[in-house]
Amino acid sequence: MLPLSLLNAAQNKPMLVELKNGETFNGHLVNCDNFMNITLREVYQTNAEGDRFWKLKECYIRGSTIKYLRVPDPLLDAVKEEQKMARELGRSARGSHVSGSGNRGGRGAPQRGGRGGMVRGGPTRGGRGRGRGA
Amino acid sequence: MDSLIPFTTSGSLVDCVDRKMLVVLRDGRKLQGVLRSYDQFANLVLEDTVERIYHQDVFAELKRGLFLIRGENVVLLGEIDLDQEDDVPLRQVDWETLEPYHRQDVAAKKHREDIKAQVLFERKGFCKEGGEGDGY
Repeated sequence: MLPLSLLNAAQNKPMLVELKNGETFNGHLVNCDNFMNITLREVYQTNAEGDRFWKLKECYIRGSTIKYLRVPDPLLDAVKEEQKMARELGRSARGSHVSGSGNRGGRGAPQRGGRGGMVRGGPTRGGRGRGRGA
Repeated sequence: MDSLIPFTTSGSLVDCVDRKMLVVLRDGRKLQGVLRSYDQFANLVLEDTVERIYHQDVFAELKRGLFLIRGENVVLLGEIDLDQEDDVPLRQVDWETLEPYHRQDVAAKKHREDIKAQVLFERKGFCKEGGEGDGY
């Protein structure tokens, strides 16, 4: 699970964003992209010294200005769980498709195994080597 | 075996996942947490993060939770040896107690760096820009 997919999953969750200049933004994530550009809503902005505050309805932050983001602890487990579910869903969908087409799936498996064995054992290569040595 | 993995961010950090790591940021902050994920930019996901400050032989820490750090700001990432970390001869005190001292240290360091930069600029022909916000 990549850092940016964690960010993606944080939509509508509260977060704290600190910029490189030390300013912080507390708000709920509305949207984000792969550059880490983000929009927040209901934002409390704090200056770098932490002694002045502003309230903003909504704000856009360019990804390149961000130092770090702090997100709720349970988010990590939530994303992991979600991805596991998605994987299992994908596997069961594929599984039912294969079993629907009869014994084709059954034939496929040993075939693949056989090919692997050839490559690993490399009998042709070994044979040639012995021949050349003699 | 090592040579099979190319020297890339991804190649260097695979072994660090799910380990307790120390991260130093460009602003001088030191974070300790479990590395859960990273990408080619060294963007990092740190779980159960604590921020630590030091002054002489004492330290203080504050729980900070789950972090997503933008790679650009990372200075270094180092593994913490769980067997040895308790043997470090440092004493822990309250954050509130230590914070003013730490703030003084940071200010003093910044002052020294400013003077150094000024001298380099005036006498050695260095440029003035660069290194803004660097406190590590």
